[in-house]
Amino acid sequence: MQEILTVGSPRLTRPATDSKVKVPLIEMKAATKKYGSRAAVSDVTLVIYEGEFVCLVGQSGVGKTTLIKFLTKQESPSSGSVFVAGRNLADLRGSELPYYRRKIGVVFQDFKLLPQKTVFENVAFALEVCGVARADILRRVEKVLDLVNLGRRKNNYPSELSGGERQRAAIARALVHGPKLLIADEPTGNLDPVNTFEIIDLLYRINQKGTTVILATHNRQAVDRIQKRVLLMKSGKLVSDQKTGKYVI
Amino acid sequence: METFQRIVKLGYTNFWRNRWLTLGATLLMTLTLIMISVSLVLSLIVQDLATTIRSKIDLTIYFRDDAVLDSDITALGDRIKLQNGVAEVTFTDKRAALTIWNRLPINENIKRPVGESYNPLPRSLQIRSENPDNIQGLVSTIATQDSQKIICNECVSYSKNKETVDRLLSITRFVQKAGLFLSLFFGIIAVFNVMNIIRITINARADEIEIMRYVGASNAFVRGPFIVEGILYGVLGTIFTTIFLLLIAYLVSGSINTVFVSFGVDFFQLIIVNLWTLIGIQLAIGVLLGVIVSSISVRRFLKA
Repeated sequence: MQEILTVGSPRLTRPATDSKVKVPLIEMKAATKKYGSRAAVSDVTLVIYEGEFVCLVGQSGVGKTTLIKFLTKQESPSSGSVFVAGRNLADLRGSELPYYRRKIGVVFQDFKLLPQKTVFENVAFALEVCGVARADILRRVEKVLDLVNLGRRKNNYPSELSGGERQRAAIARALVHGPKLLIADEPTGNLDPVNTFEIIDLLYRINQKGTTVILATHNRQAVDRIQKRVLLMKSGKLVSDQKTGKYVI
Repeated sequence: METFQRIVKLGYTNFWRNRWLTLGATLLMTLTLIMISVSLVLSLIVQDLATTIRSKIDLTIYFRDDAVLDSDITALGDRIKLQNGVAEVTFTDKRAALTIWNRLPINENIKRPVGESYNPLPRSLQIRSENPDNIQGLVSTIATQDSQKIICNECVSYSKNKETVDRLLSITRFVQKAGLFLSLFFGIIAVFNVMNIIRITINARADEIEIMRYVGASNAFVRGPFIVEGILYGVLGTIFTTIFLLLIAYLVSGSINTVFVSFGVDFFQLIIVNLWTLIGIQLAIGVLLGVIVSSISVRRFLKA
């Protein structure tokens, strides 16, 4: 048996599969979110498999962030359902939520780093709140900071870093739990082109190591650069799904 | 254990890092505790004062010089002592009465004619009751006995003191009630202020709470540091309040004691004797208030 996601107890497990067989990690079935009479997300059905790199594109306000909030369970669909690793998120109890969130990494446009903590402390904080032992924290944080190439800036505060470095620190924090799924919501929105490509390349490398990556963006160059699956949203609806697509509106 | 240490450390660090906001919250907590403590101290003083006043209510019977011997008076005193509710009976002979007369803070010209050679001061029995409310009963018991003819006309002190004593007692009761009402009123305002400022300190850290939740902190871990801060508000508030009370007691006890000297109330001593009780009450209220308000305020961030 291969462990997919541990969400509280009992542990969610899935039978071991042939590496060539695609295993669905995320399934949305007619997911809809209404705020009053306005639908932010309307009737979205999709499947994202383990190990995929998916670009979620569309202009601002088309429902990308709401769709992502379904996955982090900050929002629940008004109708339809969202499954992650075979588990219906509607069944997730409040007490299970922290354990679920430790299994997914999230990166934001505004980095959401704690300004009074150093890079090392910011990343370590994600493990501290989960009760990980000090020695284990040291080892895992050093490793993930090396991965994002921030080892030499670990004692700097966020205010002393460039935008790209801050985003790399945020990615390190999202990865330090070793999540199966990394969600990046407009991670390059505040970055110049050079830093944007650095971040996209980093996400690409993370995906190459096996982590499923969902990148919500409206940055055309970023999407075109990596040539991966592209989901296009318009007015809350999923209007196209290209296997190795380009950003086309 | 490591998680608990992290929560305590985080609470302490946050408290120190946001020192201006937390200083505001601590000062408001101090104000609340001062309100409550002043009310308690006031109530203690009034209680003490009332007890002292009541203990001063006694009955003095004066005897005619020509009608009775000293031995008869002491015999009467012994009989009175046997009655229910009588705490103490003291006989004052003419010599003792003269000594008291000489000590009285009155004009020397009035004092001078009275002396060993001319002493019109009557002998007396001072009767102190265990319960001042019983004195009325004692007066009527003595008045019905045939000893009436040996007592000076209108020489029972109780009746003329009663009105003054009753008025004093009703004033102390009023002061006690008014003080409690005022303290309660200001106390409630102060509690609301504490609630608001703690909410502001927590709202100011909404981003931090959001980050903690994104990285998978359990609700207990998010709530923990804020509860630690709530405890710190209570503990520091208690320390500041105690220092304030002792300082005020020390500074004003001199003038207060002068006013109340005849009632035997020592303000500073009163606070010292009840210090641990006061600290205990402040600590309980302060910590409870800090913890409850912090828990309620952080709860709304833990829903999503």
